[in-house]
Amino acid sequence: MQVQLIDHVAMLPLYLAAGAAVLALFAGRFAKACMMSGLGASAVAALWVSGGEDRATFAVGEWHSYVADDAAMGAAALFAGLSVLVAAVSGRQSGEYWFLLAVSAAGGITLAGARDLITLIVALETLTVPLYVLVTKPGRDGAEAGVTFLIASIASSATALMGAAFLYAAAGTVHLEGLAAGLADAAPGFVAAGAALLLGGLAFKLAAAPLHAWAPLVLERAPLAVATYLASASKLGGAVAIVWVVYFGLATDAGASTGIVVAALSVASIVVGNLGALVQRRTVPLLAWSGIAHAGYTLAPLAIVATTAGRGDTAAAASAALTYAVFFVLLEAGAFAALTAVRESGEGGPITELTGLWRSAPLPASVFLFAVIGLAGLPPALAGTFAKVAVLEVLASSAVWLAAIVAAGSILGLAYYLPLARTVLLGRGPATAKGRSAIAVAAIGLALLAVTLAPQLVLDFTAISH
Amino acid sequence: MLVLAVAVPFFGAVLVWAWRDRAFAHWIGAGAAALALAAVAVLPVGRGGGDWVSVGGSLSGGWWHEVEFAWAPSLYLDFSLAVDGVSWPLALLTALLGLLCCLHNALGAERRTAAALQVPPPGAATGGRPRRRLRAVNVRGRAAGDASEVPGIPSPVLTSLLLAVQFASTLVFFADDLILFFIAFESVLLPMWAIIRRYGDPAARRRAAAKFALFTVGGSLIMATGLFVAVADTGTADLGAIIVAGGVDPGISLLVFTLLAIGFAVKAPLWPLHSWLPDAHTAAPTAGSVLLAGVLLKLGTYGLIRVAGGIAPHGAADAAPVLAVLAVLGILVAGLVCLSLPELKRLIAYSSVGHMGFVVLAFATGTEAGIRAALFGNLAHGLITPLLFFLAGALKARAHTGLLGSLGGLRLAAPVFAGLLGFAAFASLGLPGLAGFWGEAFTVYAAAERGGAWLALAAAAAFGAFLAAAYLLRMLRRVSHGPLVPATSGIGDTSTAELVVWSPLVAGTLLLGLMPGPLLDLFGEGLL
Repeated sequence: MQVQLIDHVAMLPLYLAAGAAVLALFAGRFAKACMMSGLGASAVAALWVSGGEDRATFAVGEWHSYVADDAAMGAAALFAGLSVLVAAVSGRQSGEYWFLLAVSAAGGITLAGARDLITLIVALETLTVPLYVLVTKPGRDGAEAGVTFLIASIASSATALMGAAFLYAAAGTVHLEGLAAGLADAAPGFVAAGAALLLGGLAFKLAAAPLHAWAPLVLERAPLAVATYLASASKLGGAVAIVWVVYFGLATDAGASTGIVVAALSVASIVVGNLGALVQRRTVPLLAWSGIAHAGYTLAPLAIVATTAGRGDTAAAASAALTYAVFFVLLEAGAFAALTAVRESGEGGPITELTGLWRSAPLPASVFLFAVIGLAGLPPALAGTFAKVAVLEVLASSAVWLAAIVAAGSILGLAYYLPLARTVLLGRGPATAKGRSAIAVAAIGLALLAVTLAPQLVLDFTAISH
Repeated sequence: MLVLAVAVPFFGAVLVWAWRDRAFAHWIGAGAAALALAAVAVLPVGRGGGDWVSVGGSLSGGWWHEVEFAWAPSLYLDFSLAVDGVSWPLALLTALLGLLCCLHNALGAERRTAAALQVPPPGAATGGRPRRRLRAVNVRGRAAGDASEVPGIPSPVLTSLLLAVQFASTLVFFADDLILFFIAFESVLLPMWAIIRRYGDPAARRRAAAKFALFTVGGSLIMATGLFVAVADTGTADLGAIIVAGGVDPGISLLVFTLLAIGFAVKAPLWPLHSWLPDAHTAAPTAGSVLLAGVLLKLGTYGLIRVAGGIAPHGAADAAPVLAVLAVLGILVAGLVCLSLPELKRLIAYSSVGHMGFVVLAFATGTEAGIRAALFGNLAHGLITPLLFFLAGALKARAHTGLLGSLGGLRLAAPVFAGLLGFAAFASLGLPGLAGFWGEAFTVYAAAERGGAWLALAAAAAFGAFLAAAYLLRMLRRVSHGPLVPATSGIGDTSTAELVVWSPLVAGTLLLGLMPGPLLDLFGEGLL
């Protein structure tokens, strides 16, 4: 048997992230610095790797388990960057905290490169398992959040594994490219069941309906910094996993069933998320419910694989979904990071407590406003508008009815985003809210501004090519 | 120059906002608006010949000027601006109204600051003071509501928001890229929402602002879907190139046109999608109403004529009867509703629905005369209705009421004011020799020219014009004539500042009314 050479350059971002995790575990009081610099280096390495030619390693024949193309490395850099952001707004924590966060980030980076179902699911578990601990604050609420997250996550993992097993049984391989080639002859019902179970399980990470109910509860009860991570990096993980599976694996031969599953997930998420958000009176649950709706918008373009035959259209759809996910997690990260910076109690609180934030803490308030307006998809926060344009452009040409649902959802979104923005902007609240973590908030603010002015930065990375 | 015309209001808005605590902030705003007006005004210099040639998917010649920067090519988004005979007059109107609103705000603010120093005697009879008293009351109401305003301090933030609206609208008129057009169209929403929400009439602003936002976003997203279908079909987002190439594939033309038309009909507004308009107008502050009537409604009609009609001509032809019937219904409904409305501002707002009905009807005829009439009526409405709103705002500020039933005798109390109101009302009802006449007369002509069922539509529209005359004269009779009533007794006549702000609109109305020719020629050069 021939010994395979491993492309260590392709793995470099992952090595750095894993190294950062190990260092953080043993570095004592320097754990935070080690973790942040290690993940920062990992992000830089990912960008450097993406600058060169596309790399791939762990091959079985022509199929690779780990690929470092532009989209993967862009996502990896984003995982690392978001983890650094979360670390920066976390304040003082014990050494294990940094270890767990770094492990989770390493899971995200693996996920970005994963091209077979086993690697993908293991990576997703690596991303999720540390969060079981992180979401659990001392006390009854924390325990509730932790247990809810644990149970929901395990249930969805089991679902996804079952789906993966079905697909393996159908195609005889776990490589996504192998699935693309091997599903043609399998029994359609079997493939459809596998696709539905796998996607339904993965949709848990994205907090898409029907496995969405954990999100508002856990986000509200978790520490805000961890909620930031859950709402950004963790959701990016779900989006990336679904896009990879759909585009590389299922679109070619299981397009019809996949498209129907994704469309159902998407429409359900848009409806449930928007309706849920309408009645919220507390900041974090509002963002969490609206995040469910955004998960629906992210999935929407993928639904067109049901009808398109050509690979080009599917690539456009996958790119649009990834683009939306990237803009959306950046905006969520901005909103949650700003919220973390101004809430000393470490919990979101009712919306009314944000009254007059604009006057008492202008920097976090402006980042928060920008993010909220962006989530509503309105100029001047063009990051959100571009995301919406990307999705609608794909949908308008092939699924006008879905475009109409996305549009209706966005209109409904205004009904809760605008009052939230108004609360922050107007009024004179207690001047107690002090902005902390100014550098981190300014950094995510600048990142949002950068993608607003130059969306091509994101679009270059999210343009998926086979 | 093109970039300057767009960028100046934007940076003006930013600067005014940044220096909102300084006394000179208003004048920066006015200065920026004036600069923008100058930049737009010189655009015809060195313009191209008007030969529309399409070379390899992109357009050469035709536009007076164009600039283009790549922004996000994978979204088909380019920052490309262009101007021609159709968009230039509207941009000029936008810049003019922007300047007037900024001036209005600045002068009003001046008077208010002066008044904070010297407490005025009650019932003082000079021009601006009663207005300031009312504003002060409003400000206090606001302070009680959300504690955001310090009483007596004028708000340059309003000027900043006005400039932001002006920036976005100018961008809409100049946008040569469909995606940019959509983004600019959406950009108008937030500043306008903030104007209504924050500076509007405390009683109604909350609902009105929410309604405005939801209607507008709904419309613009439907429109966006139509735009994206068109982009996907043609493979380019270059507006000019699509129009010259003859629009989208006839098979989907009707779909594209329907989506676009619904979107623009919300903005225009076309009956039955108009219901946000009276609320928004009634609740908005004077400057906000002026921009709403003079600029925002024009976005809808411009979009309908240029974008919807341009990229889906087949669909436009197919949908024309529906559009025409809705337009005529709008004219009649607006006329009948106006006959019984008790409130001045609401009446003017509803009359806009009727005027826009004429514009849409003229567009629906699809003939050359019709489209020119549509563009002309559009522009005329943009001069006359803002004037009416300025007057109504000033009157409401003086008399503290806008109810027709409690007004009267303005002719005796303030003759110049009453004269101006009469002038504006006559212009609005389409008196020959004033701007309102040409658009409406040629609309009826263009509709009648098509014969058949269109003749009935033309007759109904003519009857609508008669209704307009009836309700405007009723308004004049209630407001200007009759004996003095408590509300109007002792109110001041127009001040110099007000005359300065209003006179360009009066002059424009006269000019367009007496010499419609040059403007019609401009439209003829444009790309449709």
